[in-house]
Order: sequence, then C-alpha cells, then structure tokens
Amino acid sequence: MKSETHMSLDRRSFLKSLTVLAPASAAAIATGMWLDPEADAAHACIRPPGALPEADFLSTCIRCMRCVDACPNHAIKSMPASAGPLQAGTPFLKPREQACMLCSRVETDYLRCTAVCPSGALQPIQKTLSDVLDKVRMGVARIDFNLCYSYNHYTCGTCYHACPVGAIKIGLWEKPSVIEDRCIGCGLCERACIRYPQAVRIEAIERPNQRGAEEGRA
Amino acid sequence: MMNRWVIAPLRRLTQMTTLALVVLLPLLALYSHYKQAHAIADLPDNQWRTKAIREIDKTVADDPQRAKWVQETQGTLWSARIGGVSLSDPLAGVEAIVSSRSLYQPMLWSLLIPVAATVLLGRVFCGWFCPMNTLLEVVDKGRRVLRWLEIRDRDVRFSLRNKYVVLGLSLLIVAVAGMPFLALVYPPAVISREVHLWIFGGAFGLGVYLILLIAAFELFVSRRWWCRYVCPGGALYSLLGRFRLIRVRRDTQKCVRCGDCVKICQFDLRPMLVETTGMECTNCGSCIRGCDSDALSYRFVLPLPVIAKPAALPKNADAPKQFVVMLLAGIVALAGCSAVYAHHILGLPHYSYKENYPQAPTLEYPAKTGPYDVLMTSYPGKPVPGEPATITFYIKNRNTNEVYAKPVTVRVLQTATFGANTVVYGPETHPPFDNQHKFTITFPSDAEYIVELTMQVEGREEVIPFLMVAGEPSAGTSIVVLLAASLVVFIIAVRAIKIKRQRRRQSQQTAVSMEAV
Repeated sequence: MKSETHMSLDRRSFLKSLTVLAPASAAAIATGMWLDPEADAAHACIRPPGALPEADFLSTCIRCMRCVDACPNHAIKSMPASAGPLQAGTPFLKPREQACMLCSRVETDYLRCTAVCPSGALQPIQKTLSDVLDKVRMGVARIDFNLCYSYNHYTCGTCYHACPVGAIKIGLWEKPSVIEDRCIGCGLCERACIRYPQAVRIEAIERPNQRGAEEGRA
Repeated sequence: MMNRWVIAPLRRLTQMTTLALVVLLPLLALYSHYKQAHAIADLPDNQWRTKAIREIDKTVADDPQRAKWVQETQGTLWSARIGGVSLSDPLAGVEAIVSSRSLYQPMLWSLLIPVAATVLLGRVFCGWFCPMNTLLEVVDKGRRVLRWLEIRDRDVRFSLRNKYVVLGLSLLIVAVAGMPFLALVYPPAVISREVHLWIFGGAFGLGVYLILLIAAFELFVSRRWWCRYVCPGGALYSLLGRFRLIRVRRDTQKCVRCGDCVKICQFDLRPMLVETTGMECTNCGSCIRGCDSDALSYRFVLPLPVIAKPAALPKNADAPKQFVVMLLAGIVALAGCSAVYAHHILGLPHYSYKENYPQAPTLEYPAKTGPYDVLMTSYPGKPVPGEPATITFYIKNRNTNEVYAKPVTVRVLQTATFGANTVVYGPETHPPFDNQHKFTITFPSDAEYIVELTMQVEGREEVIPFLMVAGEPSAGTSIVVLLAASLVVFIIAVRAIKIKRQRRRQSQQTAVSMEAV
C-alpha cells in the first residue's frame, strides 16, 4: 500500500541536512538566549491581578487577549508591537486611563481576568476582601510631594476617598500617605487625582509568586 | 460518504463562519464593556462600531441566556472562550507547556476538543477554518490577474519537510528563551489579534505587515508557500493527525490518471499517486470535487495499514539550499517589518464613553536630561486646532527630588513635509508656578508640531524637542505613496495591454501568411 508519509531519510541525505540543521539550531538557540525574559523583567509594568512574577509571567502568558476582553472596566490593555517582541500582546494596566475596579460592578466569584486566563499567567483570585488583600499586588501607590495639592498649600483628599481598601491614610490638611503593605495597586487613586500630571502614581513592583496557591481548584 | 458537490459550499461556510468569529469575538467583548458601563446610549452615533454594538444589544439584552453566553465569550483564535467552552490552538498549548515548563489544568482542558478533532479528522483546522488559509486561497486566485497582466508567475518549490524543521526550531527557541513568541508570528493568531486591535483601538498593529508580506511572497514567488513549507501549526496538526480516521481515498478502478487532482491540491500532495492521502492532507475535499471520474472520496480508514509504508516521492536535491534561502527571506521579511513600522503613539486612543466627559489627559511625553526627569502633558490631552491648550512641564531632579526652580524658554514649531518648519509660538520665557512650568497655546491647524524646551543643565543650555500632534493631520507622505502606487499599477496595465496587442497582431500575421501559403 502506498502512502504519502514520505518522511524516510537515508544516511547521506540525513548528513547533508545536518549541515543546514546544525547552524540553524545554533541560530535558534542564540535567538532563544537573546529573547531573555529575565533581562526584560527589569522594566516591569503594571499587570492585571494575580500575575506571576514578571519573568515567569512573560514565559507563561500566551498573549490570547482573553483578559483584555473579560475586564468589565476596560482597564486591561494589550501591549502594542512597538513595546518589543517580549512585551507585545501581553496585558497591562494604565491606571490614569482606566483603573482596576476589582470587578465591583459585575457578578462573579473570581476576578474575571483571572478566571478566564487559560495559561495560569494570572492565578485565580476570589472576589473577597481577604483574597484580594492577600494576593493582589499589581503595584504600589507613590505620592509625589512636589505635585500633591495637599502638600502645597491647598487641601484635596481625593485619593483617600477613591481608595477601595483603605490603604491611604490621611493626615492634617488632608495630607495623604500610603500604607504600602495594604496597597494592592489598583490605581483608583491615580485615576482620581485631580493634578496634571497626577501626583499619586502606581509604580510597578516585584510581585510575589502565587503559582500553586490555589491547587485545590478544579 | 459525502456528495462531491456538497463539500465546497460546506467548506466555504465553515471558513466564512471562522472569519465572522474573528470579527465577532472582539465586537462582543466591546459590547460587554459598554453594556457593563451602561454606556451604549452614549456612544457616538455615526460610527459603524456603534451600530454593530446596538444591533448586538437588540438581540442579546432581553434574553438572559444569550446575555450569559456573551458574558462568557472572549479571546482570539489563539485561545478563546466561547459561551463558557474553553478552546485553545494545539500549537498554543504545546508552546505554553514548553515555555512555562509547567502543566496548567485549565489549559489542558481547553486543548481537549481541538486536539481530539485533529487526531480523528487530521489537519482540518488548516483546510476548513484557518483564516490565513482562506486569505491565501484568495491570493492564489490572484495569480490569474498576474497572468493577465503578463507578469511571470513564478513558483519556487521547497521541500514539504521544511515545516517540521520550522516547528522544531521554533520550539527550540521557545524552550531556550522560556518565551512564547509564536503567538506573534503564527498567522491565524496574528490575524485574530490584529482584528481585535483594530476593533478596540481603531488601528492595526505591526502584524498586518507580516500577513501582507507572506501574501505578497505567495503571489509573486512561491505558490502557497506558507501553508505548504513553513507553517509550524500545520506541521503540528499533521503530526497529530497522522493516524486519523477520515481520509481521502482513491478508487484505482475508477481513476483515469488525468492528474487533475494533483493540479488542484493546494497543499502540493498527489492524490493520484496514492491510495489514501498521507498525514499532511487537510481533508479539504478540493480534489474530490475536482475529480470528474468520481475516483476520490472520503472514507473511514482504520490507521493500522497506513503505517505500512511509503513510496518515496521524487527527491528534492536542492532542499537544504532552498531552506537557507527561505530562512534568509524570512529574516529579511521580519527586518522589513520593523522598518516599515515607523511610529505609533504608544497606547490606545483615550477611552471615554462620552466625548465631552472631562477626562484626565493620559498622553504624556517623558524625557531625560542630565539629572532631570522632564514630563510634558497637555490639557486637553489631544489639542484641538483653534482652541487653547495648556501645556505643562514638570521638571524634577531625579537625585534630590527637587523641582527645577529657574525659568524655562519655550518655542513651538509647525513641521512641514516639504521645506522648513515655521515658528508658531515664542521663544518665550516662563517662571515656575506651583512647581510646574505652564504656558497656553492655540495651535493654528491640524499638523505635527515640535515643542522645544530650553533649560539650564549643569551650566549648559539644553534644548529638548517634543513631537506632538494637534487635530488629525493628513499624512502628506501617504498621498505620495498612493500616487506612486497607482502610477506603477497604470504602467503595468499599459504594458500588459501592449503585450497582448502585439501577440494578437503576430497571430493575425501568421494567419495571413498561412493563407498566403
């Protein structure tokens, strides 16, 4: 019986193809070493909740856009191609455009983006205060005292009212300060800040590893 | 098993459904966003996107079951969730496992249906669903236009084995880098993502150039180059579908060996020479439809006899050389892509439900000079010509966190495509106010401008230019490109008609001389 599985190779053509395959593999390995997520993890950006540490995140995320679609607040965006081959297509947040509202206005058991992620780059997080406070570390809010109105002869307090988890403490004349251990990096304070450029900003941080934290989930 | 006239319409239907899905997935997601924000009524009326979203709303809003289905639909062809059913491309699955070096349960579940379908039916994704294949089938038809235009349609051939090498090498890259880059180059995923970007942000990204380059290469150089010789996805499905149950089978009694099927086959297989097609067949059924002697048909074939073996095809001695050429062409193509991609403003257009809602400006122009971080913002974020805009500089010493306290000088230039730039503001000097340097300007027209900031850095005078856009400038260069392109098309058409006329005249002359004889 004849068939078209013409995959047989005799020794000579095998050796011949090696002359091409060997340098090609070397080139592939070189390319692989050049595309190093560890190196790129240095300029971290703000990822959706439940994201793995940056280098792990870059190697796990399959760039499928599901979380971009699932975000009920349109806060998750995907990186444009100009961000480079490692970053292109990965999800990120730009809080001063749209901040993470922790799915507060939709009915869901898990934060939507973490529930739809097929690759585990975003680990599932329940929509409960304890789970959110434990596991969400998108970044941390930092206040620029040169810009903040409350530190410059006015009073404001907008960021204090915007914070959903009470991570901003307010002092005399509504001077805000951030409780960094409690801040989840949702960016609602940055979105609310009335100064241009914004006086309170979310800065990317090194995220804790949450892989396997939810082993029991089906 | 199936009437030969049913196959083609059915296949077109599944292909069109996939194309519709590529557009519908992001549209449904966008609809969900606006629905959840109660903002469908606030969308600008004159856009097609708004119309589509309102149509979706009409069909979905009153039916809780449909609403739930839409809520559970998101993603791209690379990995999608459709009505709660999670589906991933097998290539995405393999790549994710190799690059993350872990197995993730939801990913494995999402692979179940696609992998099972491929194992049972073979490489059907390529023939029946893949949007790139649909596009390239159309491009292949375009070769007729090429022939009419009297341009030689080249068909450089490579070894079909190349794609397994490409699959192996790309998985090697993925494994070494720990970095899933295939999503950025695998055409169906690229097409799906580009459509997503376009529907969400109104502009395509870099991937479109990749798709266009592949299409152009197939049109001018090599027929069905990508699917036959390169596609790593096709290679993976071929391997998975090696022992598939549905195959195209030839009835040797009926076959008249006309070779039509060999000419028809888009994937360079030879249904006339074998009894059942091998692992690379996509079961597209073109050969069944094209066989006038009714010798080919789908048959349920148990895999066992197929393992027993192969008549070798005529060998392609130039395969390694061609592979190198192909690899170089690919690298050049990719390099070309990055060159073509000149500049894009980082980030999507600012997202707002209502056009007059007072949004914070989000476009920022950062710069660094000496110890200073300079941040320029403008209000409104995207200035409108004829209306005043406030431009703000925030200059901070990185080391001491102190604001730059001296006055700065500002000049604004309007850029010109041809000739010199014209000064529209300044130079004027501004002292700091509330730790910022501010000035107000009314841009005269839709154009690109350069805002020049002059300040003292470590005793020197430093000039920092910021490129900024006011309104919607019409790109002068794109008009030039369009004109050049239409000129080229015109010249080619004139040339084609000339050649045709000449040929007709010659044939008439020979006819006359024949008569004379």
